Amino acid sequence: MSKYLLLSQSAHADLKVITDRGAAYGDNLMQVMTFPLEFRDIQSSYPIFFAKDSETGQFYPLALLGFQQEENLYLNGDQWDASYIPLMIKRHPFLIGFQQSSDAENGEKTPVVSINIESPRVSKTEGEALFTDSGEPSEHLQKSMQNLQTIHRGHEQNQLFIAALLENDLLEGFNLNITLKDGSNNRLEGFYTINEDKLAALEADALGKLHKQGFLQAIYMAIASFARVTVLIGKKNASLD
Amino acid sequence: MSKKISRLVIVGGGTAGWLSAGVIAAEHAISSSGDQHNQEFKLTLVESPDIKTIGVGEGTWPSMRTTLKKMGLSETDFIRECTASFKQGTEFAGWTTGENDNYTHPFTAPQSYSETNLAPHWQALRESRPRFDQAVSPQSVLFPDSRAPKQISTPEFACSVNYGYHLDAGKFAEFLRKHCVEKLGVKHVKANVIAVNSAENGDIASISTDSSGDIEGDLFIDCSGSRALLLGEHYKVPLRSKKQFLFNDTALAAQVPYANPEDPIASCTLSTAQTAGWIWDIGLPTRRGIGHVYSSAHNSEDKATAELLSYIERTAGKQAAADAQPRKINFDPGHRAEFWHKNCVAVGMSAGFIEPLEASALILVELSSNMIAEQLPANRDMMDIVAKRFNDKFLYRWDRIIDFLKLHYILNQRQDQYWRDHLDPSSIPDSLQELIALWKHQGPWHRDTNHIDEMFPSASFQYVLYGMNFETNTSTTSRRSDREGREVAAQLFQKNAKQRQELQAAMPTNRDLINKINTYGLQKI
Repeated sequence: MSKYLLLSQSAHADLKVITDRGAAYGDNLMQVMTFPLEFRDIQSSYPIFFAKDSETGQFYPLALLGFQQEENLYLNGDQWDASYIPLMIKRHPFLIGFQQSSDAENGEKTPVVSINIESPRVSKTEGEALFTDSGEPSEHLQKSMQNLQTIHRGHEQNQLFIAALLENDLLEGFNLNITLKDGSNNRLEGFYTINEDKLAALEADALGKLHKQGFLQAIYMAIASFARVTVLIGKKNASLD
Repeated sequence: MSKKISRLVIVGGGTAGWLSAGVIAAEHAISSSGDQHNQEFKLTLVESPDIKTIGVGEGTWPSMRTTLKKMGLSETDFIRECTASFKQGTEFAGWTTGENDNYTHPFTAPQSYSETNLAPHWQALRESRPRFDQAVSPQSVLFPDSRAPKQISTPEFACSVNYGYHLDAGKFAEFLRKHCVEKLGVKHVKANVIAVNSAENGDIASISTDSSGDIEGDLFIDCSGSRALLLGEHYKVPLRSKKQFLFNDTALAAQVPYANPEDPIASCTLSTAQTAGWIWDIGLPTRRGIGHVYSSAHNSEDKATAELLSYIERTAGKQAAADAQPRKINFDPGHRAEFWHKNCVAVGMSAGFIEPLEASALILVELSSNMIAEQLPANRDMMDIVAKRFNDKFLYRWDRIIDFLKLHYILNQRQDQYWRDHLDPSSIPDSLQELIALWKHQGPWHRDTNHIDEMFPSASFQYVLYGMNFETNTSTTSRRSDREGREVAAQLFQKNAKQRQELQAAMPTNRDLINKINTYGLQKI
């Protein structure tokens, strides 16, 4: 369940956040959105693909965690078997939103933090306190807010990244057919990846522009991350034992 | 050596002119940067700055998706700039008895149509059966809630169920003009044609204009509307009236706003039978186009107007009816005796016009311009051969259109004189009478398709026939193959019912989808 409220010391002084991992906390996700700014960490553990948001049709990059709904093969009970946990997993139960500045002239939108008070991570008895006894944000909350700032930059980066990929025609749909050791065939549909032929054919101008935007590295990391599909298949096969 | 055909001149700039220009220019790859293979190829469109386009046909067939894509257009731009919506077929109300009867002709063919003919199995179900289109095709489940044929994540021009468009014809011509001039290298001349100048062999050598001098050409495409400036006025190719089959010769067209800007946008053209004609109702995102097309021999303008206003009042409220300003259009239903004469070919209303019952206007422009683009004669010697083939093909197509439109009228049980007159055998083409006689014993299926590029597939005939409760008496010709197919058919009916549920759950409304397209756009992949 989700019910996001603006986080405030006055209303949420006594709240704590459980930082354990587990399906009970909503970690059983098949995929999670990611951003070029964390690709270096993501690609060391997860395959990076692209998909369309079903509400807007807009592309976004994602880390693949499993082969079917609610399957996270990196989640082993209360353990997360990877050296890096994606930002969009770590963010819970917080969300970064925006508030129109009251100064109408200025019109700037300022980022504000909301908390999902119906999240199973929110507790009054266990977990990390959000505020210190003196009412200051706790170290944990400060760290969470830093993560949210990074996510905010990530969203902005994604918009430019996806626009650059589409402009150069670099995304292509693909289906992944996986045969598991029990002989079952699994088919992943609706994902997109980098079109390497199109990438190889790009002219110097286009490559230079992608490089300047910092996206060329991200593109190659996404391509390299494809090898993590093998890791995922290994985990899936192991789960069949 | 015979003269090369490299200079094309289109006269007229409505949807017919610009659509033809786009199709032909895209095929012959003349970019504004100048294609090296086609340096000599020139396409000029001469448009009168004084004549307002009539804007026929706000409905298209699914073929328009391919046509737009081939021209290199974006569907997102098209939807936004032409205030277009998705058309998934036609709903016919009151055509059978006039007493709350209705059926639909969806664009999606019956289940497994290439292998199995479900019609006889559906007939055998008798009283327990759902309406034909509902039993055999999933599409019409989307109509009552005005749902879309795709989702925001579906790429441009792709679909879950087949669709064409409803569009604003004036905006469409402007949208095409921009693309033709800016991207496809079409030269746009705004001038009035004041004379047509002949060559010795009787061809058109050039046209004289009031403000841009003489324009020479090797092939002239007459898109000047019903006036048919070149084919009709210059060459005197006569119009063959088809009023003896299809009586409607007058239209009253109105634009009706939505009561609320977020009101549902209908998924199909709604066609409602009247005492001596029918009313079209086409939903665009910004307004509805509603019009009454009728036979002036059977109805007075006053009574026809009253019927139209009563429809508008019933479906859009008193105020909308009071504000409506119907525009009257007279037309002589029929087509030219030939369409391509000498070095002149007519496309659009200059070639012919018939009531828009199955939105045949724009599809004929697409088919004509495609054939011109594909078979563009290399030189003058070849042109007469291509012209003959073109004339044969389009005379055949006009006959099929007339047969198919007439079919909508001859199964009615209504009492008005107009509807009784439609049943008179002298008003039914022989070709259709033969088909009806045949269909009484074996329904239409693939065997009725004589040509590979037949305009109306046999599925369309099925939707109309069985939508109007036509009886094909299969018992006398019961075949082994049909009996064996019974089980397959039962499975297909089930599959269809399941697909209907899935579609209804998955598809957004047209309004939601169009709002999202305006905000986010559709992806190209």
